[in-house]
Amino acid sequence: MEVNVIIIPVRCFTCGSLIGDKWEDFAMRIKQGEDAGNVLDSLGMKRYCCRRMLLSHVEIIDEILKFYEETKKRETP
Amino acid sequence: MVEIEVVDKTDNTIRLFIRGVDVSFVNTLRRLILTEIPSMAVDDVVILENSSVLNDEILVHRLGLTPLTTDLDSYNLPEECPCQSEFGCNLCRVALALNVEAVEGTRTVYSGDLVSENPDVKPVSDRICIVKLVQDQKVKLEAYARLGKGKVHAKWQPVSMCAYKFFPQIKIDGKLCDACEDCVKVCPKAVFVKVGDKIEVRNVTDCTLCEDCMDACAKDPSAVELTWDKNAFIFDIESTGALPVERLVRESLNILDKKLKSFLKNLKKVK
Repeated sequence: MEVNVIIIPVRCFTCGSLIGDKWEDFAMRIKQGEDAGNVLDSLGMKRYCCRRMLLSHVEIIDEILKFYEETKKRETP
Repeated sequence: MVEIEVVDKTDNTIRLFIRGVDVSFVNTLRRLILTEIPSMAVDDVVILENSSVLNDEILVHRLGLTPLTTDLDSYNLPEECPCQSEFGCNLCRVALALNVEAVEGTRTVYSGDLVSENPDVKPVSDRICIVKLVQDQKVKLEAYARLGKGKVHAKWQPVSMCAYKFFPQIKIDGKLCDACEDCVKVCPKAVFVKVGDKIEVRNVTDCTLCEDCMDACAKDPSAVELTWDKNAFIFDIESTGALPVERLVRESLNILDKKLKSFLKNLKKVK
């Protein structure tokens, strides 16, 4: 089953705990090369349902926005 | 005699030991907390402008799921409010406005951009991503939050976890046990520790009652005896931030009290 999530969900699909405010922090720290498990621990995410929400997420909206940004650039000379 | 002990408490979580009650009572508490305690969530949204890449429905769904801090004492449930209006009044509805335009380059709209008419009812966290906007895109809307119950929609559930387990009782028979450490290795929660030539039980509250230790023990009968107290419970609650955890426990008891009173009243009518 493919789930179309183009932006980080506000809550965990399974338990309903808030995850929408943790994504940016998580993504930034992963980019800096930190260990994903340690980052999740430090964000206080204990259950594997919430952990997979961040671990498996792809922020597709960033890719979509590139098209709009490019269009904007070409409009203005 | 019911005994309740707070073992561990943080801002949003609490762990209680409840002794002297049976499983039906603890399950009642759990179900009341999940389904009957009212909390605030966005219910109606008027969209004035939305030029973002997310369509209106997704945007509104995200707003609805955003947990809001709840002021239970100042607001009524819409169905119990004296106004009886479909649109609601000041006692049963809170308006939150969102008006964001990306003026300089791409920006993210956060829950902190929501402007509430009541500072006591606002998103639990200011950093929840709602949508991302490219330059010149705009979101302008008015959201109406109402009290509601978890049995109607999960967005009104004040907890993200609410569960209990029986209190584990682990005994090791010193005469039978030869400290082979099979139970230490097999236990997923590291309940057993080898001290000298003996196995000792630590962190008994971490035990999940899986009985792997009993199966792993080579002795017959097993040197480890795992049972549980049927009248003692470990109760864990994790709030979404909508209400403080102590309030959740107290409120669930109030609701139980109310339900029993109305049950008694109706029972008397039957007689």
